[in-house]
Amino acid sequence: MNRMVDYLRGCPSADLCRDAPALVAQKWNAMAAGLLALAQDGEGTMHEHVARQIQDLGLTFRVTGDEEERPWPLNPMPLIIGAGEWSQVEAGLIQRARLLEALAGDVYGPQQMIKDGRLPAAIVAGSRYFSSKMVGLTPPGGRYLHFCAFDLARGPGGRWRVLSDRLRLATGVGYALENRLALARSTGPLLGTLNTRRLAGFFAALRDGIARECARERPRIALLTPGRFNQSYPEQAHLARYLGLALVEGRDLTVADERLYVRTIAGPRRIDALWRWIDTNALDPLRFDARSAIGVPDLFTTWAHGGLAMANWPGVEVFESRALAAFMPRLFETILGEAPLLPNVATWWCGQRSEAAHVLSRLDELLVGSAFGQEGVLQGGLQGGAMQPGRDLTPDTRRALIEAINRRPMDYCAQEEVHLSTSPVLIDDRLAPRPFTLRAFLARDGNGEWRVMPGGFARLSSSGELLTSLMGEGDLSADVCIVDDVPAAETDITTNIGSAPAVRRGGGILASQAADNLYWFGRYVERAEATLRVLRSILGSSIEADAAADRDAQLRRFLAELLEHWEAIDDETAKGSLAQMCSAALDEHELPGGVGTLVRNSQRVGLSLRDRLARDFWRITRRAPPHLAGDSTEAVRDAVKDLLERFGTLSGLIAENMVRDDAFRFLEMGRRIERAMLTCRIVQHLQACPVGAEALNLLLDLCDSQIIYRSRYLSGAVRDPVYDLVLLDPDNPRSLMFQLKELHRHIGELPTLLDDGMPEAPLRETLALLAPLRGVTVDQLDNAALAKVDDQLLSLSDIISTRYFLPIERGESRLASSLLG
Amino acid sequence: MIYQIRHISAIDYSAPVSFARFNLRLRPAEWPTQRVLSYTQDITPRPSTISEEQGPYVVNTSRLVIPGTTSALRIETRFDVEVLGPPVDPEQMPAPTIAEIRDAALAQCELSPASPCSYLFASTIAQPADEIAEWARPMLAMDRSVVAGGMALMKAIRDGLRYESGATDTYTPPLEAFRARHGVCQDFAHIMIIAARAQGIPAAYVSGYLRTLPPPGKKRLVGADAMHAWVNLWCGAQLGWVGFDPTNNLIARTDHIFVAMGRDYADVAPLDGVFRGGGKQKLDVSVDVAPVEELLGPV
Repeated sequence: MNRMVDYLRGCPSADLCRDAPALVAQKWNAMAAGLLALAQDGEGTMHEHVARQIQDLGLTFRVTGDEEERPWPLNPMPLIIGAGEWSQVEAGLIQRARLLEALAGDVYGPQQMIKDGRLPAAIVAGSRYFSSKMVGLTPPGGRYLHFCAFDLARGPGGRWRVLSDRLRLATGVGYALENRLALARSTGPLLGTLNTRRLAGFFAALRDGIARECARERPRIALLTPGRFNQSYPEQAHLARYLGLALVEGRDLTVADERLYVRTIAGPRRIDALWRWIDTNALDPLRFDARSAIGVPDLFTTWAHGGLAMANWPGVEVFESRALAAFMPRLFETILGEAPLLPNVATWWCGQRSEAAHVLSRLDELLVGSAFGQEGVLQGGLQGGAMQPGRDLTPDTRRALIEAINRRPMDYCAQEEVHLSTSPVLIDDRLAPRPFTLRAFLARDGNGEWRVMPGGFARLSSSGELLTSLMGEGDLSADVCIVDDVPAAETDITTNIGSAPAVRRGGGILASQAADNLYWFGRYVERAEATLRVLRSILGSSIEADAAADRDAQLRRFLAELLEHWEAIDDETAKGSLAQMCSAALDEHELPGGVGTLVRNSQRVGLSLRDRLARDFWRITRRAPPHLAGDSTEAVRDAVKDLLERFGTLSGLIAENMVRDDAFRFLEMGRRIERAMLTCRIVQHLQACPVGAEALNLLLDLCDSQIIYRSRYLSGAVRDPVYDLVLLDPDNPRSLMFQLKELHRHIGELPTLLDDGMPEAPLRETLALLAPLRGVTVDQLDNAALAKVDDQLLSLSDIISTRYFLPIERGESRLASSLLG
Repeated sequence: MIYQIRHISAIDYSAPVSFARFNLRLRPAEWPTQRVLSYTQDITPRPSTISEEQGPYVVNTSRLVIPGTTSALRIETRFDVEVLGPPVDPEQMPAPTIAEIRDAALAQCELSPASPCSYLFASTIAQPADEIAEWARPMLAMDRSVVAGGMALMKAIRDGLRYESGATDTYTPPLEAFRARHGVCQDFAHIMIIAARAQGIPAAYVSGYLRTLPPPGKKRLVGADAMHAWVNLWCGAQLGWVGFDPTNNLIARTDHIFVAMGRDYADVAPLDGVFRGGGKQKLDVSVDVAPVEELLGPV
């Protein structure tokens, strides 16, 4: 409590907490007290609590230029806004969304505002997001916008203002949700006791709003992502998962007869609506940028002919132009006949002569920047992304800027400087004021009405600068709590309009690409595990203690050769000491069979499975490999043990937590086929070894069948019993036969393309593999037979790829015809 | 002047092509300096669907779907056109200054396909480049006549850059060609567009043809054995769009046959599309542009 008093004594006059009316001020106090109490009760600081939740949620982000994702900087102290103050903001935002909707209808329709001179043609043409091909097309339901976001600033006196309009990407909405999850988890019932409004209803409404536009009653809605290398991919994956949307990339999709389909393992499946996270220009290489590799050829025809609902309608990004804000106040009057409830920051577009003169005369007081927010450097030497205070320009830049404005005034605009209110953040165990901006989100609900998310994404910076990117270096984010004086009625909380969803089972569609990734995830993980078991054996954890030393060395050499065959080490390394060799195999990131390579590959494909895998699963997958503390046998052995345990946990999670749907089957198929191949290869390799009990023991070790063998046979390792156990015993989960049986079962349960009841190629091939092995006894199995099985497995893998996955030749080729003149 | 144009493009693919969908932009769009008298196109293999579209710039697009699998594509177009040339000679008329042109463009109240507004800003290929802008700036003083400026600029490009067939390809950025001081008509046009827009002059990319054989006593034009590209600068309400050919240092009159105009090559590419497979492509182009009088012989 004292800390809050201290805070209020020291904070600036315009502060969200200081300005709070009595009832809301109580909530601030309760929040601060609650956070500090939690920190004192538990182990570690509040920051550690939150950080743990963030890690558990797998929340990360990238700053442009980052290779690796960073942990998300969430401050435990939320922004607390009273229902009274918020309702005014809400009304203003809804009014603004209505205006933008009307404007979209005009600019992509009759263009009356342009013809009447109320909106300069150049301000539309100047945006790289203006899509002239969309002019004249109207969305089937008549709604251009389904989702929009606004960056807001709270100024002195509690006046809220719009800093920017965001219609292109919903960036931040997923983070707002994650922030809430992390904060709610780390603070227990605290948010509830403050009567914090819940976010769930907003997301349900968003989904209903998109579904409403679809022609079919039970539409399939997909989130179209640019792919896993996109800065906000983690956010997109999380949203898709949370909203139950199919997460698709352009190459998953195909257009036929003016309809959109996703390529799944069960053939093409129709998509009714797309929530696109791709710019209009990249959506269709045949209609827009021919160089786009992330779009879908002919996608244009699907929405143009009413076969696909789009959120948002292509082309609406044009209204994000910063300079447009200069015309918004008048457009409110002209189009809506209303005064704006929530003003935007005062803006001047230099494309008009008198405005340009005004800007040049007040350069020291204003922020200047690109009119259309182009990235890169403008002619005047300004960075395109952010607005800059005119007074901070160096004399040279200033001169260059003035010249540039005189040459191409239309590229520039200026804004009045906004003084941001502060809000408290928790730094160590102290509260400190930080200036903030808030990104608010609006979506249409199932009735087509605008709904404002009761919350948002707050960004707090230590410098007080307005950055336009999502998160910059050193920024903090915070949850935004809209609090009611009295608890909301239960009906308000379950905002799901209409009835509860129909009960359903199964995992929905499985896109071919996702199946591909699951399959390879299984294969990489299995191969890594098998390689680790070889390392474990080399390092001597379980080779018979009484084995003659030279025999032992010979066996280990043999294992080293196996590593070399599997391309886990190169031939030079294979000549070195065993410990060095093992450490090299662990650390190998270049050769295809190195443990480092395999782990990285599993992480790579795992990344694009993010929307399908449980959080725990994902967390284990992406954990960095253990650090190797030197080359000592013990250090390497520890690292191997650690990794093997990790894979064991992963297998446990798969076995216990994954729904038995087609996704599970592909992951399993990958594991089974890999294990079957490796078993064949180990046995073949060891047959060349002078077969002794040690080699057979080793085989039992590598196939994890030592214990079963000992419980079944009193004698030591003997060829036929050992071979039968690792190759033909249908009940040993490590045997070749077991893998084939499982493959047969999984493939048999996959959907077929035709309904003629005939088995498809993958099933036929599996049967061809399985049937002969069922009829042989172990003494008939020689290396030639095993080599044949190995070949058949390779061809089965190819057949699976051809049937279920996308063509190897990914994407489409482009035609380039040069003008030679 | 009436011309008969015959344009054949033959593409051989080293591997079969399937799911092919193409945009063909060879049918001349309507343009005030000429009248198209006839037009035919033959495509082999025969497309399963052809849809014709106009716009959004001054361009006609035929959208083709090629059924099945093929390893060769042949496109032949023929048309007769009467080229009238500019109604007034741009070199003889007083033209507005560059500053006046810019302000007039900014004051436009329409976004039609030929609206100067649409050609004022950066586009996919014609991205702003300080190097080009600064190089051209002395020629394009704000108080200079736009026609005089345009002529100085096109001469500077012709004199400063080497025409070199094959030096660049469709995807070479204009700045790269500028730095290497060589290129083909497409590069020259893009460089001129970037330079003009940097000073606020609406500048457009024009694709078209040149007459193949010069009139007696004149030199054969560069670029006549394929499609050609040049630049339209907007020179005010009275002069309208004026064609500047930086490859030949010429104002477009009756030797230039207009096909399409866009913000840059990407808007008017004669042929683009997507398909699966294909391997390597080999393209053979032949263009023949003959004055009809010549075909008929002396009258």
